[in-house]
Amino acid sequence: MKTKLNNPLTLILVGAAITVTFLGFKFKNENGTYRTMNVQKANVSDVLKILGDDEMVHSMVNFDAEKARIGEDLILNGRTKVDGKYSKRISKYFVCTDCHNLGREFEVLTDESAEARLNYADENGISFMPGSTFWGMYNRTSFYNNDYEKKYGSLVVDSRDTLQNAVQLCSKYCSSGRYLEDWELESIMHYYKKNELKIEDLSLSENDMKNVQKYAKLKEDEKKNLIETIKNSYVQGYGATFLPTMPIDKRKYGEGGNPETGKKIYDKSCLHCHSSGRVTNLKLDHSSLTAGMFWRNIKKYSDKSLYQIVRHGTYSKTGRKQYMPLYTEEKMSDEQLNDLVAYIKQLAKK
Amino acid sequence: MKKLYILSMTLLLAASSFAQDSEETFHGTRILNGHSVETLKKNTLQFRIEHRFGDLIGVAGGVNNFFGFDQAADIRFGFEYGISDKLMVGIGRSKGTSAPYKSLVDGFVKYRLLTQNKSKGMPVSLALFASSSLSYEPAVSDISLIQHYPEFAHRMAYSTQINIARKFTDRISVALMPTYIHRNLVNTDDVNGLFALGGAFNIKVLKGLGIIGEYYHTFPSSDPLVRPDNYNSLSGGIEWITSGHNFKVVVTNSRGFGETQFIPYTFSNWLDKQFRLGFSITRNFKL
Repeated sequence: MKTKLNNPLTLILVGAAITVTFLGFKFKNENGTYRTMNVQKANVSDVLKILGDDEMVHSMVNFDAEKARIGEDLILNGRTKVDGKYSKRISKYFVCTDCHNLGREFEVLTDESAEARLNYADENGISFMPGSTFWGMYNRTSFYNNDYEKKYGSLVVDSRDTLQNAVQLCSKYCSSGRYLEDWELESIMHYYKKNELKIEDLSLSENDMKNVQKYAKLKEDEKKNLIETIKNSYVQGYGATFLPTMPIDKRKYGEGGNPETGKKIYDKSCLHCHSSGRVTNLKLDHSSLTAGMFWRNIKKYSDKSLYQIVRHGTYSKTGRKQYMPLYTEEKMSDEQLNDLVAYIKQLAKK
Repeated sequence: MKKLYILSMTLLLAASSFAQDSEETFHGTRILNGHSVETLKKNTLQFRIEHRFGDLIGVAGGVNNFFGFDQAADIRFGFEYGISDKLMVGIGRSKGTSAPYKSLVDGFVKYRLLTQNKSKGMPVSLALFASSSLSYEPAVSDISLIQHYPEFAHRMAYSTQINIARKFTDRISVALMPTYIHRNLVNTDDVNGLFALGGAFNIKVLKGLGIIGEYYHTFPSSDPLVRPDNYNSLSGGIEWITSGHNFKVVVTNSRGFGETQFIPYTFSNWLDKQFRLGFSITRNFKL
């Protein structure tokens, strides 16, 4: 029996479709040579650039994989080996990964909700932390947004629009460390470049994908629209809303909360730092003794109350540089906090 | 003696555990006078100040010397450091009790060999400990006294210890500390090599509040012919743990610090109301 695939015309069409889909299109790269591009795997920043978008302040021309490797070492360990000797630690107290994940944190990249973030962390076995992920950091244009001014004052001014300055602020102040040397900052920027968003990470419509593929044929306004569409399919700068300690009359003390969700938060947030003595002196576990400590203080306005410590954290001070960062509303919602309290209540057997 | 052995071993081995891992079997590197199975974390520097006061009540105590606060039986300050998460070293300087040592410097090494872990089938935590002390006071001319120090080596004393601990529940931990002490110069009625068996418990009332007991039994102990005036060190204490601090208040019949002092040279008797307050406070620094 004859099938349609035996028809030469169909074969040509299918072949062309496969070629277009998998080989992508040609464009002139930095060196002035032509080379095909797999649109799915293309860097978001490269695509924006060829569409004629304004260059980012931290835009990088010549990516160096070795520098990115050094950057990764610095991010994971706070130091790296230079000529066989360890470099000076960036911070004695923290490494980047104490507060930041390095991979994807949301199923849909336009999502900013704490609930979606926790679900994704749960499904993918990653931590649920106060800082935003380093993955896709290169594609963001705004840092230390909204209320971070309350914590760092005018220090945020230069950091908000420039990634390098944001990294330096974090390195010096947030991690209780020092400003990065030029080679360190450069290496970390190469790491960010390596881990930038790819077109396939965005949930672009079929039509938009086609437009990207035939970008050269687009009119100026179509290009502008496409730039807009791409930029709207991921978060340019994560919001940061600082909440006050919840007033006592508003606290539900776990009433109606889900202790199972609470356990996830406890394991993925609290224990990320408090399960070992490296970052903190306060060791936490799943014992009723620990839960009892939280439960006894839950009704207070003090650092020992979860309602306060989660929203305010603690401050770095002379003689005690380790501190706990705060959770913004975007990083832990009030409902999640209630879930956490519900779990503590269950653990304390109250 | 045997009863004590059997009781301790039974306590250590028979009861079941609810702990998955053995974090915080004891709080801090000391139980009260003696060491615990715990070591400092890597790159942590700890500064310690420890005090033992005069007799609380009894003939030498009471309101006249404000329950011992007018007298300092011994004072020690020391720096201790975690080389790795399992290996720590420390040096310290103490006043000494003058019975017999005074002006002491000491040093120790402690290595955490085993860590209790239910899933790995490890029932106890175990640390190996060794310390030495050196008295640098001027030698006295009375040849009947230890402080005569005929040779430099006589100023030194050593201790080694196997520290075995088990966390039975989140609240209750027990430790057993077989200890060997060697002093290069001792009195005529004493022995150079002295074995002692220590036992201790820690009951956590709250996350940051615990009750501790500690006892060291020496062999021989208060024999009429050997070490006639010595008593065994018995201490009770309360500890507060705050973030970065560990504060302990001790009531003990021992006066001095360090295994080479408080185990062989405790001359006070609880039954004669010869016990005193003491405290230790620690501060951790991250290096």
